[in-house]
Order: sequence, then C-alpha cells, then structure tokens
Amino acid sequence: MKILITSGGSDLSRHLADSLATHHDVHVTDRDQIESPHDFERSDLDHSRATNSLIAGVDVIVHSGASDPDASASDQLDYQMRCTYNLLRAAVEEGVPRFVYLSTLRLLDLYDEKMAVTERWKPRPTTNPPLLATHLGEIVCREFAREHGIQVVILRLGELTEDGESQPSTSALYFDDAAQAVTKALDAELSGWLDIFHVQSAVPGARYLVGQPWWSADDVSPPVSLGFSPQGRAER
Amino acid sequence: MNVLILGANGMLGPHVIKALEPHHTLRLTDINDLDTPHEYIKVDASDLDHVVRVAEGMDAIINLSVMRTDRVRAFDVSARGCYNMMVAAVEHNIDRVINTGPFYAVAGPSYERFDHGVGPDVPAHPGTWLYALTKSLGQEICNVFTEFHDIHVMDLLFYMFLHAETHVGEPGDPIAQIGHDLVPYTVSWRDAADSFRCALDIDLSALPSRSEVFFMFPDLPHGKFSNEKAKRILGWQPQDDLSQYWMKS
Repeated sequence: MKILITSGGSDLSRHLADSLATHHDVHVTDRDQIESPHDFERSDLDHSRATNSLIAGVDVIVHSGASDPDASASDQLDYQMRCTYNLLRAAVEEGVPRFVYLSTLRLLDLYDEKMAVTERWKPRPTTNPPLLATHLGEIVCREFAREHGIQVVILRLGELTEDGESQPSTSALYFDDAAQAVTKALDAELSGWLDIFHVQSAVPGARYLVGQPWWSADDVSPPVSLGFSPQGRAER
Repeated sequence: MNVLILGANGMLGPHVIKALEPHHTLRLTDINDLDTPHEYIKVDASDLDHVVRVAEGMDAIINLSVMRTDRVRAFDVSARGCYNMMVAAVEHNIDRVINTGPFYAVAGPSYERFDHGVGPDVPAHPGTWLYALTKSLGQEICNVFTEFHDIHVMDLLFYMFLHAETHVGEPGDPIAQIGHDLVPYTVSWRDAADSFRCALDIDLSALPSRSEVFFMFPDLPHGKFSNEKAKRILGWQPQDDLSQYWMKS
C-alpha cells in the first residue's frame, strides 16, 4: 500500500513512518523541510495542484491532528481546518479511498473519569487552540465522509508516552500501540464512511475503553471493529 | 447599546444599519472603505489583534462578515473570524454576540434535499461546500466559547433576500419569480434587518441557552424549514408579504 503521512517531522509521524515502512510504501510530508529516511516532499497542503500531485496514487493518507505548539492560535486553527479541507478535497478528486485522522482523547477529558466513555459520547473541546483546532478538524473529516463516500477513520489517541515512563498517565499511549492502531486502520473492514476509535495503552487505571466493536441499532449493519489490542507495559 | 458590526459594508450591512441606527450607537467595521456618518474603522475580521482592539467599549457584536469562494479567505474570515470575535468578547466582557450565516451552515444538502419541517436545532450537516462548511465551523467555534464563558451567541441564519414589492426576477430567476414560486428560504431585506433589532432587544435570560440558532424567514407554504423558534423566542414578526411569488399569477 502507498501511504502518505503528514507532519512528518513530529515524533509520532517519524515512529509511524518507520513502523509502517516494513510492509508499505511510505511517503512523508511536512510544511517544513525535514530530514527523513523515507520518501519526503515538503508541502504547504495548500489549495493547489501541488497538493493533488502529492497524494495522487496514495491508498491511505494518515493526517496528524496535532498542532505545532509553537504556532499562533490562528495558524493552529488554520492548519487543522483549511489544510485538512485541502487534503480531503484533493483526496476526493484523486480517488484516494481512505483517510486516517489522528485526533486526541483529550476531547473527552471533561467527562468524569468514572464514566465509561466510548466513541459514542459527544466530544467536549475547550477553547484551548490546539484542542479546539483538532475538534474542528474532526468536523471537516466528518462532512467529507458524509458527503463523498471517502472512508474516514478518526483515531482519538491517548497521551503519547515513551516506553520507559515509570508513571504513565491513565490515558497513556505508547508509540508501538499507536503504530498498531494506525496499521489496523489502514485496511480494517469498516462501515465505509466514518468510523471513530479510541486508542490508548493498557496502563494501570486505564481511563478510556478501547477495542469495543461499534454496533448500529438497525438489524442490517454488522458490528465494526478496528481489531486494536493494546499491549501495555507489562507485556512489552 | 454600543454595537460593533463586523463586515458592515456587505449586502446585508446597510439594511441592518438602517434598522439599528435609531436605537443604538454603531461602530462599523469592514475590510473595504465605507462612507458613513457612524464611527467607522477599517478592519480585517481575520486579524485577531485588530478585532480585539476595535471591540473595546462595546456591549454587543454583530458579525456580518463573510467570504464565500476564495478558499484561504473563506477559512480566514468565516471560520477564524468567529474565533477572533469570541476572543474579543471574552477580553472585553461582551455578553451578547449575533452571528450570521446561511441556513445550510446547519441544514446542508443531506437535510435540504430530502426532508421537510427542518428546524434550526438539528445536528449540523453543512456538507463540504466551502461557504457552508466554513460558516458552520465558525458557528461551532462560537458554540464552544459559550460553554466556558458567560457569552450569549444568537446565530441568525438567512439565505435569499429580496425587496418584497419591487423585486422583478429575470426569466428563469432561481430566487423568486412572481407566480412561479421562490426559494423556500427567502426573506425581505427589511424583515431580515429587523431580526437584529429583536436580537439586541431580547433579555438574555429569556434565551434557552447561551448558544441558540434561528432560521430567519417569513411564513412560507413549502413546509421545508421552520421559523417557529425565531418568532417564539426572539419575538420576530416579519411584515412583508411574499405570497405573490408562490401564487399563480
């Protein structure tokens, strides 16, 4: 499969690129010029033919919903709304069949930790620009999924955590587990339009439920599952 | 009331100014020059710092700014412009914001094409058309701010406007032709403008929540959308009769 990963300079994207490259043809892009061992093309993800050229022939786009913490609020919002729109518009035009958006579980953090929060719960963003921007990015994804039939998979990721962390947060996500979830999202048999999955590692007191199949209230649609199974530290 | 209007020189601006100037002190802003007896400041709604500065001393903000077609500017103005407006409202303790957009910021093609009786409180399905989606994102930004700040946002959604008595459509005019029907979401300029007076007059405690959406059009026979909420809560009573458009001539 030909995979394009955005925000290629981020720690997560670098890890994903290395992991996915063992089985796939991985291409990386970033708005900055970066060094990468993978096929790299710098892109502003603008409204231009260059964005279409960037994604032509790609099977899956893995788009980061994380914002550059050093960027202004305006730039963070612009990136997650406009650049996500540009990518999706180009994906529809070029016939890219699947789009994976890497969102965050922090959208659910305002719920009581004791609640069994799943993907069916309404996101509760704050006005904090990085979180608000990711929420708005999800909305852009949702509308393309609704209207164009492109398969969108939203992975709400836990707090990315290094392997050796002695006291991980209750929503910690180890990089290898993140890579496992993204790998599953590349070709899992899903609903065909929009699917949302929560992704975190099996840490002590794990806050979010993961790995549960989606089901519809109708008697036609089969349950949908990503097949993600977090490994957790004890098993590593 | 001291009222800041963003995008005052657009299509709707002159009508809103005319409706409000007898009752309020207006500070007009627009990215284009404007010849007016009111206070006027040239402002790009996508400039966060400038929007915050011009909101000082205001009691309410009306956002008429819009950019429909250019992809960069549409996100800058219609979506990020709302972020800037809400930051300004927080900064200056402004508790009344009137935002605007088209009905399909909420009820996009998946409602409009298939359904009837659509009200303004359905989950937003703007679709991916640039104008609809950017306005819907702006609306959502406003909504999130109201969750955390004591700011009331009234979203007044419009679509087609006309002069009720003088409008003469060209043959094939998709908006309105006498005796040939009209877009089932059409309002006169005068009635549209009067809805802003209602939104400034209403006691904020009378609003069901800090974020309320209203469909603004007069009673139309199609049954496509519902204006019941605007009449019931805002007390808006459109005056212009548009029946000549849907009755056979």
